[in-house]
Amino acid sequence: MLDGIFTGLSTAIMPFNLMMVVVGCFAGTFIGMLPGLGPISAVALMIPITYGLDPSSGIILMAGVYYGAVFGGSTSSILINAPGCASTVVTAFDGYPLAQKNQAGKALALAAYSSFTGGTIGALALLFAAPALAKVSLSFQSTDYFALMVLGLTAVAAFSGKGQVIKALIMTVFGLMIATVGTDTTSGATRFTFGSLDLIDGISFLLLAMATFALTEVVMTVLKGEHREEEEQVDMSKLGSMKLSKEEIKEVAPTIARSSVFGFLVGVLPGAGATIASFLAYGLERNLASVKEKLKFGKGALRGLAAPESANNAASTGSFVPLLTLGIPGSGTTAIMLGALIAYGIQPGPRLFLDNPDVFWSVIISMYFGNLVLLILNLPLIPYISKLLLIPRPILIPMILFFSITGVYLVSFNTFDIHMMVVITVIAIFLKLLQFPMAPMLLGYILGGLMETNLSRALVISDGSLAFLWERPLTLAIISIALIVLVVPPALELLRNRKNARGPEVAVNEGEG
Amino acid sequence: MMMTKDHIGGLVFLCLSVLYGYYAGNIQMLPGDEFEPFTARTVPHTLAILGGILSIALLLTAKRSAGSRLNLKGYDFALVAKLLVLIVGFGLALEWTGFMLATLLFLIVGFWLLGERRIKMLLMVSVPFAVGIWFVLAKLLDIYLAPGQLYMQLFGG
Repeated sequence: MLDGIFTGLSTAIMPFNLMMVVVGCFAGTFIGMLPGLGPISAVALMIPITYGLDPSSGIILMAGVYYGAVFGGSTSSILINAPGCASTVVTAFDGYPLAQKNQAGKALALAAYSSFTGGTIGALALLFAAPALAKVSLSFQSTDYFALMVLGLTAVAAFSGKGQVIKALIMTVFGLMIATVGTDTTSGATRFTFGSLDLIDGISFLLLAMATFALTEVVMTVLKGEHREEEEQVDMSKLGSMKLSKEEIKEVAPTIARSSVFGFLVGVLPGAGATIASFLAYGLERNLASVKEKLKFGKGALRGLAAPESANNAASTGSFVPLLTLGIPGSGTTAIMLGALIAYGIQPGPRLFLDNPDVFWSVIISMYFGNLVLLILNLPLIPYISKLLLIPRPILIPMILFFSITGVYLVSFNTFDIHMMVVITVIAIFLKLLQFPMAPMLLGYILGGLMETNLSRALVISDGSLAFLWERPLTLAIISIALIVLVVPPALELLRNRKNARGPEVAVNEGEG
Repeated sequence: MMMTKDHIGGLVFLCLSVLYGYYAGNIQMLPGDEFEPFTARTVPHTLAILGGILSIALLLTAKRSAGSRLNLKGYDFALVAKLLVLIVGFGLALEWTGFMLATLLFLIVGFWLLGERRIKMLLMVSVPFAVGIWFVLAKLLDIYLAPGQLYMQLFGG
């Protein structure tokens, strides 16, 4: 393990890679600050840039953008009560009231310290958890991989929220369907190309990610008329001191420690991610508080700000565990990174730390550097970076649209891709209006090809029999977990719906009686 | 019956699954594939069945409250449509006018559509931006950007 750490350290401290961490953190902070654009959009916007870099540098840049965007989202939550992404919605609960009390500086500093601690604890846990899990999963066979992918896809759907499970599963199947467009790698047959030469290679990952996240998110802000809303002027004179007193540090230290560990564990679960971690950590902290302290929550409680901030950064780090060790992304953002790794020809999974130790370890080591950059460079510069929030939306939106489109065009130099992006964006807007989640679709698309390969291998070995699903205990165990994850939430939802449907009738009857 | 978002989504995906399943049957098979345990049609057929089952499940469990109906009021579809047409236009302009001019036109029209009317502001932002991006791509990163058919026809290749 020490060898690996040194390999990672030597790759991560290369001047170019250090620069990537810094650039990633800054770019991520800026994009994450823009309301409506979260870490997924930020990472998606970076994909075309990473195509020109070597795998380690590309992934380091993306990882930098990831936690930069989470931090940037917190900044806009605190300063203008407009969370840049879902994982920082909770930050606004107590961060914005602090800013209203002219303590924005303190809130920003606390958010940065909490993020730093959460990220650091997360990175340390990742350092030990990832190789341990990777070693265990080295014995995996193609049947286990297939089962793992099924588990990953079902877990993402299961964690997608109340009333969303079936929709998320449908989106996963939709993503798998999109993955079948183009030439089948095993037989060479063309599928669903409708005679178009442009579709022979299928729909590219970059195009799909940019259209469904970067482009759609920006267009949605226009659709909702949010581009007309004037941002509140960020008054730098009212930021206040960025220092925390000893009492305040004593108050929040246990909260930060608890929430970091908790956030990391939630982040490790495939599909859970930073948003769920931040909400759960806030709820946990509120439940642990005394009655008197509970009343402070929502009105500028320091613990209410520290808990989600530590948890979301720790969860962001934690979501790299299933990505690096099993090849299953823990969140939408890591799903995009998985796609980028596959595009590099690197197969994330148990063999990653043996075949590409430089990528594996340098990502982990650079996470720690990223947290340092956020604390040392971004925090003092926040008053200046936040001025970017003042750029008028009518200027900013066409520029983001331009970067999304040209990002795809400059990889393929085919204008068909631009037109295809428009078609996918229209579909994505329609699905968003119907409240279908996008991340499961992308995950389904990314895992689709690998899943088909492993299924075909497993079926050929077992001569067409599906017995491989229950003959190997490990495969059976993973499939069982996937089935439980798949069946239990919709069953509960069905029961709840029936109860609700019966509820009003009872009420009416009672009223009549 | 009240049509909610879930009903619309369920029906759309049910139609999609049926169509997908139909076209999956048209995938060319290799000679002898009928004896193989796994062919190019295996996964598409499975997905079509799964999609159908899930769509029906969504239709059966759909929320029926008034709040879950699709409400399109307050959305600026006209502006979004104009922006999407602008993107398509940008794709066409890239082939005809080349990268720099297409970028310039895209930005000016984009700023204009979103409400920026000051000519000075339109030009002051878009010209340096378009020239700067072109310079970074073509000169610094040495990426070949085709000059556009119009330029080729006027000045020769």
